[in-house]
Amino acid sequence: MDDQFLLSDGQVAQFIVNGYHLVEPDLPAGLNESIAAQLDTLDHNPGDAITESVPELWQVLDHPQVKGALISLLGRDYEVQSHRHWHCKLPNSAHMNWHQDGLNSRDTLINRFLGLYYPTDITPEMGPTVIVPGTQFRNAPTDRMAHYTNIRGQVPLVVKAGTVAFTHYDLWHGTAANRSDRKRHMIKFLFRRTKDNEQPSWNHDPENKSKATDWNSRASSADPNNILTFANPLGVSQSDHYKERAIRRRNWDYLLGKTA
Amino acid sequence: MPQPRQRLLYLHARTPSVFSDIIGLTPIEPVAGFRVEISAEALDWPYKTVHDALVDGWQIVQFPHLQAPFDDRELDVVGYEFILQKMEIVNG
Repeated sequence: MDDQFLLSDGQVAQFIVNGYHLVEPDLPAGLNESIAAQLDTLDHNPGDAITESVPELWQVLDHPQVKGALISLLGRDYEVQSHRHWHCKLPNSAHMNWHQDGLNSRDTLINRFLGLYYPTDITPEMGPTVIVPGTQFRNAPTDRMAHYTNIRGQVPLVVKAGTVAFTHYDLWHGTAANRSDRKRHMIKFLFRRTKDNEQPSWNHDPENKSKATDWNSRASSADPNNILTFANPLGVSQSDHYKERAIRRRNWDYLLGKTA
Repeated sequence: MPQPRQRLLYLHARTPSVFSDIIGLTPIEPVAGFRVEISAEALDWPYKTVHDALVDGWQIVQFPHLQAPFDDRELDVVGYEFILQKMEIVNG
């Protein structure tokens, strides 16, 4: 793996804060179109066997930019888990409300996340996935999200063909309605850490550790210390923000290879 | 003779204060077939704070519950929920 594809300190800190990271790999010409055409004609959902139905999907997972992000966030021995799913949002289908996947036994460390691959351009009309940056450390039964509809700071994944969105497993997400006449395809993959880091697995600059907390340029600081301290994507209260900071610091230290 | 119906507005505010900024907003109109949905478009938020909604005639029918246990580590739902209503004649 060429280190040029690993993430920077700032990108890792932004993932910890926001719970997502987008990669636009430079895929071979025609690959996205070929995958999309095969998905368009599938007459059943093969579940975990989607990579057997469409083997070219492995070219996406094996792309150096995709692997670089995975290594940076999960270590060199990351695992591509066997569960994967083709999400085909049909034309004229309704929105899906906010939820967190799985049960409410959460892990606030960066040990597993999703990779959402979109083989076509996604427009707002096509029912994009919508995420809420900064919610990944919250443990909320999905039933209790039923009163929420639009949340300030939500991000529709209106992306270019070939984009892989890495999202923390517990990030709040839903979908908008598909009002287009096209199927919206997304393949969901799961990734997992298999070994604790003994050292940073991204392009870490030890000098960044000494960057002082800068109260005057808190919104624009690009170094990890200031990102972890000041970023507040949801605009939450002071009490929640202080708790988030503590969780972020624990994650950062964990990824550096210190004991969490 | 049309009767007033209950319009509802769920507001999730940054703090339990009515003057704090709104993080989440869900309007419920008492019209058959009405549905809310997550939008992928840029949103036009009618109110910045709960107080803005009060100025516009909404009445609070439920304030945030503050009796729940808390600690300094766990995070759960986003914001503090106010439920507001307007009783109005509504067509449809």
